[in-house]
Amino acid sequence: MSIRCGGVAHTTARNSPAGPLVVEERTRDLYAASFSAMASPCEVLVHTSNRGHALELGNVIAREAWRVEQKYSRYRDDSVLAWIHSNRGDRISVDSETASLLDFAGHCYKLSDGRFDVTSGVLRRAWQFDGSDRVPDKATIESLLPLIGFDKLRWQSPELLLPLDMELDFGGIGKEYAVDRAYDLAVAHRSDPFLINFGGDLRTNRSPPDTPWQVGIERPDTEREAALVLALERGALATSGDSRRFLLKDSIRYSHILDPHSGWPVPNAPRSVTVAASSCTEAGLLATLAMLQGAQARRFMEAHQVQHWILE
Amino acid sequence: MQLKREEGGVRHRLIAASCALLSASAGRAEEAPNTGIERALSDWSLESALAYYHEDGRVQAIEPVVSVSKAYGDGASIGLNLTFDALSGASPNGASPSRTPQTFASPSGKSFTGGKHSYAIAPGDLPEDPHYSDLRAALGADWTLPLERLLTANFGAKFSYEDDFYSGSVNALLARDFNEKNTTVSFGASYEADSLHPIGGTPVPLTNYALFEKTGDQSKDGTGLLLSLTQVMSRNWLSEVNLSVDRFTGYLNDPYKIISVIDAAGDVRGYVYENRPDSRTRRSVYLDNRVAWERSSAGVSLRYMTDDWGIHSETVQLHLQWWTAERDKYVQPTLRWYRQSAADFYTPWLYTAPDLSSASSDSRLAALQALTYGLKYGIKLRDKLGRESSEFNVRIEYYQQTQENGLPGPGALRGLDLYPDLKAILVQIGFRY
Repeated sequence: MSIRCGGVAHTTARNSPAGPLVVEERTRDLYAASFSAMASPCEVLVHTSNRGHALELGNVIAREAWRVEQKYSRYRDDSVLAWIHSNRGDRISVDSETASLLDFAGHCYKLSDGRFDVTSGVLRRAWQFDGSDRVPDKATIESLLPLIGFDKLRWQSPELLLPLDMELDFGGIGKEYAVDRAYDLAVAHRSDPFLINFGGDLRTNRSPPDTPWQVGIERPDTEREAALVLALERGALATSGDSRRFLLKDSIRYSHILDPHSGWPVPNAPRSVTVAASSCTEAGLLATLAMLQGAQARRFMEAHQVQHWILE
Repeated sequence: MQLKREEGGVRHRLIAASCALLSASAGRAEEAPNTGIERALSDWSLESALAYYHEDGRVQAIEPVVSVSKAYGDGASIGLNLTFDALSGASPNGASPSRTPQTFASPSGKSFTGGKHSYAIAPGDLPEDPHYSDLRAALGADWTLPLERLLTANFGAKFSYEDDFYSGSVNALLARDFNEKNTTVSFGASYEADSLHPIGGTPVPLTNYALFEKTGDQSKDGTGLLLSLTQVMSRNWLSEVNLSVDRFTGYLNDPYKIISVIDAAGDVRGYVYENRPDSRTRRSVYLDNRVAWERSSAGVSLRYMTDDWGIHSETVQLHLQWWTAERDKYVQPTLRWYRQSAADFYTPWLYTAPDLSSASSDSRLAALQALTYGLKYGIKLRDKLGRESSEFNVRIEYYQQTQENGLPGPGALRGLDLYPDLKAILVQIGFRY
């Protein structure tokens, strides 16, 4: 004889594909599905009276986040990225999703005059933004600069030749891209109002009736404390900032936003830039481009008539 | 950057580039199953496992399990599972070791050939029927449906078939959420009816094994109640308490178990069939705590069971689970400790001319302790779109049981291993799609 207890299955999702997915009811008709992906806490808020809807959306969205993370992670040896790196110096043919991302990276490279560059990850060999004072020496940086430049790739979709010693890193767009991909899958599943939040990159289909989503933007130096609260009814929000990623030496704070031209952090960059746009990818890129402007960030945003919030 | 182009241009180009990227991906999403059948099947999850169980020097079992389940968006789900068991090997018949060779007749049975078997046991060895074999098929169904926002019902039914044993059971469970769904109270009830058709007939309890007195088929049935409280203690801590009681009545004997009858010198005078009380009521308390962190989880559970046969048992189980940073592999060690006291009517042998209402020498009713060490390793697999689609896992458990030394053997039994230990290994390979 067996009696199964129903209690547990109601509090954690069954068949969650990877890691825990926790669904909890926050207030009446508001469920939160939370999980971790891409080294960030991720959450989906769903306005519904039906826990099943929240569970379904949480599952769809988490699976997509984990998929994108797995495919483009720098930290695992079975990712598409690792496969590309293991074929440096050879002409390879990439899958269509990776091709779209490379095309997009190429556009961004041109639009930013080379300041947004998916090949600039090699600078991480010199810069470790861990809050310490370990600022690298000039010679080290100089030696890395020849390895940077999207125009040094031979890229003719779908064929790629990544020169030896060069690196690709989609970290600058991956999380925002994952939000948008998950969003597309989610709207195809359910029409309940939902808000996707992957570590501060957000997108919603619509807000619950009567009340827009309230989004708190953290002040960079004080975790958890919201510096400003924004109302979001639809569209996406992305934030570029250096709350926890910086170096401090001789009273100079080196932000983690590196200029691929010089190999050094962009001087006088704001602490964080938050941008609203129709997609998260677009918002994220605009926020990053603004950071790359350093002191001119605000002017850049205004010139482009971008809805933005800057914390200096 | 100095913008070479007019100021608004960058934004428009960026919008165009983003749209190109995202619409390209939307196209890919359509590669997902879209025919009616594929879509219907894609909602089902399939779980299969193959377990191999081997007791050191005794039985071995192979057990394939297949289950399918489907979760509906509104919280409803249905599941079906099918299990087969093929058991073969040697099984203790209940008699004690002896200084002299012992010969037994297999209950003719439990063998495919149908012919009578007899088997001889060497001096000092534990008497085991070497021809033991059994096939079992079981089918179960399970249905969960939300009745209203905070109320969920679960129904299940199960039927299992063996050559000599049929069993059917149904159960129902009602779960109600409280306290913003942080608290769940469940109440369940179950009923089971079993029918026994021992090979060669049902032995008359406590009669002489050599006389072969048999009667017809037997039955037993049982009802159970369960009360459960599940509490979300914090964001990553879940606690559960269960109280359960069940009562079985009817023929509760193992029809193939006998007891040695010995004299004061420790010499075997014969054997009688066992007899257990015709009802058993069990009560148990179960406490479970589970904590989950980002890439790991831990659980501790305790169970205390007591029944009116005089058995009290305690189980403590610990498990840990770690995920890799990519969340595609995990390892889960488990440790389980179990102790039970003996049933009031447990006796390793009887002295001549027993005048007892109940007696059994089944070692499963003896005072014993057991430790189980387990290790499970799982790998998530991905489909061609790179989605998490399935899981492959391997579980290995090593079981070590020690019987408490009971009565010392009189006379000739002195020095024999009357309370042998048991070691078993379980290997299970599972696949979930």
